[in-house]
Amino acid sequence: MVNPSNTVDLKNLVSDYVSSHGKPAIDLALAALSHPETGYQEFKTAAATASAIRALGLEVREGLAVTGMTATLQGGSPGPNIAILSELDALPVPGHPNADPDTTAAHACAHHCQLGNMLAAAIGLQAPGVLESLSGSITLMVVPAEEYVEIEWRNEQRKSGRFEFLGGKPEFVRLGELDDVDICMMTHVTTEEPHDGFGVFASNTGLVAKFVKYRGVKSHAGGAPHLGVNALNAAHMAIAGIHAQRETYKDDDTIRVHPIITRGGSVVNAVPDDVRMETFVRGSSIKAIKSANEKVDRALRAGALAVGATVEITTLPGYLPLTQDKTLASIHRLNAETLVGPDLVHEFGMRGGSTDMGDLTQIMPGIHPYVGGAVGRSNHSEDMIVDDYNLAVLDAGKAMAMTVVDLLSNNASEAIRVVSEHKPSMTKDEYLEMQRGFLSERSFTE
Amino acid sequence: MSVSKGMDKLQVKAAVRQAIEIASEDIIELARDVYEHPEPGFKEQRTAHVVANALSAAGINPETGIAITGMKGIKDFGGDGPTVGIIGELDAVKAPGHPAADPESGAAHACGHHAQLGAMVGAAIGLGAPGVSEALSGKAAFIATPAEEFIDVEMRWGLREAEHLGFLSGKQEMIRLGIFDDVDMAMMIHTSSSKAQRRFIVGGTSNAHVVHYVRFLGKAAHAGGAPHQGVNALQAAMLALSAINTQRETFEADNQTRVHGIITRGGVATNAVPAEVVYEGRVRGRTMDAVDKISARIFDCYRSGALAIGTGLEIVAIPGYLPLKNNADLARVFSDNVTTEYGKESLMTQADTANSGGSTDMGDLSQIMPALHPYVAAASGTGHGIDYVIDDYRRAVVDSAISMALTVVDLLSDDSVKAREIIESHKPAFTRQGYIASQTKRLKKIDYQGR
Repeated sequence: MVNPSNTVDLKNLVSDYVSSHGKPAIDLALAALSHPETGYQEFKTAAATASAIRALGLEVREGLAVTGMTATLQGGSPGPNIAILSELDALPVPGHPNADPDTTAAHACAHHCQLGNMLAAAIGLQAPGVLESLSGSITLMVVPAEEYVEIEWRNEQRKSGRFEFLGGKPEFVRLGELDDVDICMMTHVTTEEPHDGFGVFASNTGLVAKFVKYRGVKSHAGGAPHLGVNALNAAHMAIAGIHAQRETYKDDDTIRVHPIITRGGSVVNAVPDDVRMETFVRGSSIKAIKSANEKVDRALRAGALAVGATVEITTLPGYLPLTQDKTLASIHRLNAETLVGPDLVHEFGMRGGSTDMGDLTQIMPGIHPYVGGAVGRSNHSEDMIVDDYNLAVLDAGKAMAMTVVDLLSNNASEAIRVVSEHKPSMTKDEYLEMQRGFLSERSFTE
Repeated sequence: MSVSKGMDKLQVKAAVRQAIEIASEDIIELARDVYEHPEPGFKEQRTAHVVANALSAAGINPETGIAITGMKGIKDFGGDGPTVGIIGELDAVKAPGHPAADPESGAAHACGHHAQLGAMVGAAIGLGAPGVSEALSGKAAFIATPAEEFIDVEMRWGLREAEHLGFLSGKQEMIRLGIFDDVDMAMMIHTSSSKAQRRFIVGGTSNAHVVHYVRFLGKAAHAGGAPHQGVNALQAAMLALSAINTQRETFEADNQTRVHGIITRGGVATNAVPAEVVYEGRVRGRTMDAVDKISARIFDCYRSGALAIGTGLEIVAIPGYLPLKNNADLARVFSDNVTTEYGKESLMTQADTANSGGSTDMGDLSQIMPALHPYVAAASGTGHGIDYVIDDYRRAVVDSAISMALTVVDLLSDDSVKAREIIESHKPAFTRQGYIASQTKRLKKIDYQGR
């Protein structure tokens, strides 16, 4: 039998149990893949996830931040609470083989596998004799809306009071769902190498999101262009300005500014008077994001000034840079190496993408490792396909469950060490104050 | 009455024509000499020297050094008749690559002003023929004007800052200096490469314009090592030009708007972020109102470039030219002489609204006095291009001299009755003081910081 004081034995047990009992985890991932839904609208996905969690005999608190939920596994004795997170949402990727034909939503970021690997970790921790040996609890935390998309729609929802933050995890923080969580973790799928292993220690950029509206004057584009004020030309000049500023960004700041035009005119033969853009301003530090955001605002205003249009700039709180806890990441790394071998666990550096796991890592110790098992040009492209569910769901789940065992066994001494050595960069209140400080709605006619 | 003074008008014209014919080789040689030594505006020292000598040889001692290189000489025929101005422009444009371009300055007579100087001197010679004075009442003023091409704006602005100039073109400045105060009407003939098989083209108008002298002021930094420390003035200028291009669809076709410019300073070293970029531009259109309106829009385009990049910006809007308004009566006198001399087929008359798109400071003169600015089709190539050359010097210089001189004879003979009629019926748009005040008011300086 298992020796509850022997962590290695416990972890082997967890790992074996996921291998033998993990099928529901892969089933959940495949179910989610079949009905992709964008953020704050993941109703089918949430229902499937809740029922899969309930099937483990757990109670589910649903309807958090619209579609989110939590469930708790209790250890044998009190101790720290560790959250294992997963994300419900897909993003619009027209042309993806699994895209919803109506909405174009697709799991081209493989969040469906997170639902699976979170469930796999829970299954593993439910292996006979494991939970009793742990001091503390594990919260399964299923969060909506990690992809910061459909900004105009979400901003309207925000104004109507349905939620305050456009990302699911900031909203969970606001709702107090993270108040009793001491450590957090989730595992994200990537198309990057190693295809058959894990990527650890990554950093991610943070971002602010912007919704921009140019107001011009409509007139016949052929008959009376001199009576119009072309809002599309304003947006064109704004984007040109954004490009011209790129040389001023420091390499280390990893600034990314990449607008899209969500409305570009109504008919070809009328001067466009209503043009809308969404963009992120990403950077590796909050200071860099703020500085770049000021530059982008100048470019946006300059577009309006160039043609004599009005611009309304809404800046929305986005995500903070991801800073993984080194101790925690090292514990996870060893478990990943146990599963796939040291050669297939790569150290990742600074990444251009952003995640609201970054927000959590600013207020508590957390990790956000990557797992392979997918192919395609990159995440978010129409050819991003998960081709190894055993790795992306089961192995990723095993590594997280084994990390939980490391943390909470032996009277949770490792978890207590991680928490005590970790210096969060801000408190929850400071975090909320900072995020709210990013919000601004301004109109310029210069 | 003319008979009482000796020759009849036909005899006077014959004498004028003959004197010019005799001098034809000399005046063509003068034009060719100027062509070989092109000088840009306000730097036409050699050209001015050559022209002054030629006028002196024709018995007219001009006052020189007016508006730096300009000159004015009077031929007094006696009597109390009006003064008719005959103008020649001293300056070359810049057209590097033109076969006769000055290798250092790039100046070239790619606008044919050199032929005007030959024609003006030829007219002076013709009107100095024996017996002519007795038949005429009034004066002819031979005025060589500097700097018709509104170029080298930074240099000229410097001359203005040093108080060597008030306005930045030759005729504008000479009006300001009062040189035209005693001139009652003015004419000149410009060469053309028109494909029309006519010798002279009369009528039409030209665009008004305003000149922009713009500096984008950023911050230098190592372009490879520390681009984040720099503020790139060239990027600001590029964005401003792109912004201007977005405005083109808003320009009404009827206005014949032209917005164009050059970058005269675009950075000093590739590996330094450009800290200063200088742009010289032009906004042209049919009317001053249209030009002012578009000019204000273009200011915002400059501002937008500065705002996007965060540069400083200095805009100077310099009073440019007014639209050309040919005096119809003067045109009729001139046209009659052309058809009499060269046949009906030699003349093409354009509608008053026909607009070349270009601009000339003869436009300014035409707003304060009866003026005439016909074209002589004697060149080939594109005006201001490297292929613009005079093919027919006889026509460009000699025929032009004869046509203008004979027009003066018609204007000032019979006690200058025709000239007096024209002056009487002409309604100038501005008084001279009114013109100076209006143009002075058009000068604008705008400072801006993008932030």
